[in-house]
Amino acid sequence: MKHGAIAILPLAAGAAVYGLAFGLLAAQVGFPWWGVALMSSFVHAGSSQIVAVEQFAGTSAVAGAALAGAALNLRYIGIAASLSEVLDGLSLRMKLIAIHITGDENWALTMAERAKNSEIGAGFLIGSGIVMISVWTASTTLGAVAGSILPNLEQFGLSFAFTAAFIAMARGLWRGHANLVPWVVSFAITIGAATLGAPKAYAIVAGAVCGLAVSQIVRSRGKAAS
Amino acid sequence: MTFPFWMLIVVLATAAFSIRVLGLFAGNAIKSSRFSWMLDDLPGLIVVSLVASSLADQSIGTWIAAAAALAVAYVTNHVIWTMCVGVAAYGGLLWFGL
Repeated sequence: MKHGAIAILPLAAGAAVYGLAFGLLAAQVGFPWWGVALMSSFVHAGSSQIVAVEQFAGTSAVAGAALAGAALNLRYIGIAASLSEVLDGLSLRMKLIAIHITGDENWALTMAERAKNSEIGAGFLIGSGIVMISVWTASTTLGAVAGSILPNLEQFGLSFAFTAAFIAMARGLWRGHANLVPWVVSFAITIGAATLGAPKAYAIVAGAVCGLAVSQIVRSRGKAAS
Repeated sequence: MTFPFWMLIVVLATAAFSIRVLGLFAGNAIKSSRFSWMLDDLPGLIVVSLVASSLADQSIGTWIAAAAALAVAYVTNHVIWTMCVGVAAYGGLLWFGL
């Protein structure tokens, strides 16, 4: 658990930047700091929260905002599904806690580290998850408290931190040439869908599903050839 | 905090957790089915899609920074180094107006 908690710290620092930004946004929409803290600890889905609050600010409609936020979270079906083996042997209660504290960053780091060392498992995921949800909740609350007195962090390039982290994680999940075509298709479909105006959540789901379909075709051809 | 704010938190929290639980139980079903290969392939595909979604409609500078990060990731396979170089490249390109 300690290993995961330490390993996730650089990513947690990146999350804190987004957390501050989200807190500022939520405070402007009218959320009190304790409301932001509640949302962050019970929802624990950064991008989903940001989209929902933005939608809420524009329309004040709960259903539409929640739907938009939830749509961005659809990828967690795949993420939680991929944790099946990692969480094997835990009680149902611990599994439910583990999936709640799992975010993009600690999930991807766990999977990337597990690919390099099979002993990495639930302890790493939970340790890193505890750090992530704590940092996320604290930073969003701090952002809401701080209001608009913080400088514009975008100018320092910190908004790119997550993209860089995901690139590094993709490298860790690379399994060789069999991944190439499905990954290229997934990337292209996501870019295409987002460029055509689809919400990012749907673009991500479309990219992953198309990549999965291509992966199946590649596997079938591989079996047929052998 | 008025009722709609409370409702947004409750509905979003319920939706987020339900999606995770669905994934958890779908995962167990998939694991024992002929679709178990999906568990191997989904993580990489989702991460690639996350990268793509964050690059869509971005400036040439962002793409150059992503290429720099990819080069470092390829060589080092290290998250921290990739983040440091990526953020430095992105910040530098922003400074130059790209």
